[in-house]
Amino acid sequence: MSNKRTNQEWLHDLNASGALQEAAVADLRDLLLRAALYFFSRNLGDFQGLNQDEIMQRAEDCAQDALIAVINHLSDFRGDSKFTTWAYKFAINIAMMTARRERWKGVSLDELASSEEKYFNEWMIRDKSDGVAPEQSAMQGEVQAILRDVIEYDLTEKQRRVLLMMVFNDVPMDEVVRHLDTNRNAVYKMLHDARRKIKSSLQARGFEIGETLSLFDASG
Amino acid sequence: MKKHHFERWLQNIFETEDEEISCSECFDSISHFVEVELSGQNPIAKMPQVKQHLDQCPACREEYETLRDLGRLEDEGKMPSRDDLHDLIH
Repeated sequence: MSNKRTNQEWLHDLNASGALQEAAVADLRDLLLRAALYFFSRNLGDFQGLNQDEIMQRAEDCAQDALIAVINHLSDFRGDSKFTTWAYKFAINIAMMTARRERWKGVSLDELASSEEKYFNEWMIRDKSDGVAPEQSAMQGEVQAILRDVIEYDLTEKQRRVLLMMVFNDVPMDEVVRHLDTNRNAVYKMLHDARRKIKSSLQARGFEIGETLSLFDASG
Repeated sequence: MKKHHFERWLQNIFETEDEEISCSECFDSISHFVEVELSGQNPIAKMPQVKQHLDQCPACREEYETLRDLGRLEDEGKMPSRDDLHDLIH
């Protein structure tokens, strides 16, 4: 069985030559295909409009790309997990990017970006809770005012765009990455910096986690 | 934004650390994190920064959850075959 190789056997066979290497590559490709298909099977909603053969072809492409990534990163394998677990993460990563690209392929993120302001303001109005005590309502309003001020005035333009796309419009990270022609690390850093600024502003006004969450939680 | 999303976002804001690992650093460690978890140990104690990143990053969390579930199936000898998966894709 292909997945019964030990870690050392995987490394040995993949680094070998001839039939031994070919067999290992074929076995690895089969496992990566199954990992990609497994991700797809959990996210079939991303593939609406595609038939079975088209989805299978996407999975085959993912497996091929993942195989190349694994081979290129073989020297990075530290042996702190099963080799197959380490290899699957490449297939899952590529499968996720593929699935999200399919789901969002008809959506213009430029148009979405231009309507971010509207979404944000609508959310602020919609989220005001009815039926809560006046004092609680006032504090909710204070928290929302702080959030709005930080987002509008303290964040950089890129931080603001990324935050509004991902947090307020549920755009997946990989689509934001593609739209901005950047990478996950850069997008994550923008979100991290935005969170730090908002946290700092809330705390400066005396809001801490428990109290702030209960303000909104108690409003049902 | 739905109410539970807003609450989750607020929680993420307050759980923000000054220093957080990147998606690449998370990716480098995630197979080890899963391996520790599947062996019955507590990966959070060993790798708190990975757990913190997974709580903040939906993309990395989804990859982690898929890898963990796939690893569990493999450990149990229940890794779905290509034909099984093909039948699920329709």
